[in-house]
Amino acid sequence: VSELGIDPDGPVRFMQQHIALDYVMRVSPVSAHFADQLREGRIVGQKCPSCGLVYVPQRGFCPMCVVGMGPADEVDVADRGTVTSFTLLTPIQYHGQQEREEYALASLLLDGADGTVGQQRIVDVPLDQIRMGLRVEAVWAEPDKRGEGDRAGFGFGEAITGWRPTGEPDTDREHFKDHVL
Amino acid sequence: VRDVAIVSFAQSPSLNGVTETESQMLFPVVVEALERSGVARADIGFTCSGSADYLAGQSFAFVSNLEVAGAWPPISESHVEMDGAWALYEAWVRLQHGDVDTALVFSSGISSRGDLREVLCLQNDPYYLMPLWADHVSLAALQARAVLEARGLDELALAHVAARSRRAAQDNPFAQVSGDERADTLAEEPYVVAPLRAGDCPPVSDAAAAVVLVAGDRAREVCERPAWIRGIDHRTDPHYPGVRDLTVSASTRLAGQEAGVGDAPIEVAELAAAFSHEELVLRDALDLDDTVEVNPSGGALTANPVMVTGLIRIGEAFRQINEHGKHRTLGHATSGPCLQQNLVCVLEGDD
Repeated sequence: VSELGIDPDGPVRFMQQHIALDYVMRVSPVSAHFADQLREGRIVGQKCPSCGLVYVPQRGFCPMCVVGMGPADEVDVADRGTVTSFTLLTPIQYHGQQEREEYALASLLLDGADGTVGQQRIVDVPLDQIRMGLRVEAVWAEPDKRGEGDRAGFGFGEAITGWRPTGEPDTDREHFKDHVL
Repeated sequence: VRDVAIVSFAQSPSLNGVTETESQMLFPVVVEALERSGVARADIGFTCSGSADYLAGQSFAFVSNLEVAGAWPPISESHVEMDGAWALYEAWVRLQHGDVDTALVFSSGISSRGDLREVLCLQNDPYYLMPLWADHVSLAALQARAVLEARGLDELALAHVAARSRRAAQDNPFAQVSGDERADTLAEEPYVVAPLRAGDCPPVSDAAAAVVLVAGDRAREVCERPAWIRGIDHRTDPHYPGVRDLTVSASTRLAGQEAGVGDAPIEVAELAAAFSHEELVLRDALDLDDTVEVNPSGGALTANPVMVTGLIRIGEAFRQINEHGKHRTLGHATSGPCLQQNLVCVLEGDD
């Protein structure tokens, strides 16, 4: 009988069951188009022809109005914006964990967009200086490093490696108070 | 019971390998169903959807699917981790409350991103069947063998179902497979899992569908030929296939009785028989004789978007009344291995 009280000759009381499911994710045409523009160094959103809200990344239809958005609705969005919310992550060293040091992910309200982009890496600033209202700009990967991974269709893929402070004065809270989640 | 009618139905073509996201796949379908219904999106009183995130391997896809319902300002909605036919059932129950008159039902499924024969193992009980990875095609084959032996039929009986379904699907632009092969040709195909051959098994399908329900006289105001839900019921057999008589479907029989299938002749039955032998079992359980036209759409053998197949059956039964002048039809949906859980919906036109 082992320390855990398991008797190898006794009745089965526990069983381990490993389940692995493999999926092939496909990139939607909307995401592939957005990724192509990212590789050109452009962040292009879609402006709803009905309510005028600007969505980035592109999503193909406005979830508020349920009307389609396509190439005719594209608008350029700045590669800079405001931290509306953030979290500091302390990586637990579970299997597969790539992170070793504490780091920050933030929600960003890009200039020209009406919704935040979540889970963006904040770089080149001490963690205790990250704050709501902080102005940041994109750190673009070299053009030849904006790889196929960007076509995964989630956020900015590999084209933007992080966001660093611009040094501009903080954005007034009034401007982003509806975007803190 | 309050009278509730289906006033519109829309579906996407079934295909293997959709590139759109689940919500992008749903978007045109829901828009089309609403446009055809004559009910403005803002006038929808209740929304219910059916899907399973395990299929596409995307957690919380069922939440982003709500984007096609325009969920701001907040709407009254619900979701079932089941075929959209059960979402329709919940919407029908919700309309019985009497305080809202309209409901939007939609469902979606992207089966092609994973291995369906692995993913559907997770619907089995975790102690006895799951560790065996008893996949749904193998379980269906066990049932098919039992059905053939109990009825004294040979495998050609299965091929006849397959051939008729594939012929019917030639006229259905939303079907995924079709053909005019003879039954004896299909009976020479190699086995997938004996006694089931390629024609006896459904394709792996991605698709979406949507239905709009309206209660009372308002249904006639918005729709020229609404299809009234005269009866709807769902019943469940025991989960473990080993304790069931797989040659019959007691739950379908009970659901059919409760839904009033036998109260008057049925002209068209759309059955969610995803394997050839399941049609034989379901025909018996619902007492459908040769006068009943079964699966003029081609049925689940020719397009089987898991989580959508049953809602499409009800939608096709609606189309038979709304577009083809039939008076009394039924749609059937199923869930679980070997026809474990079954829903029957009887529809009637006004005349």
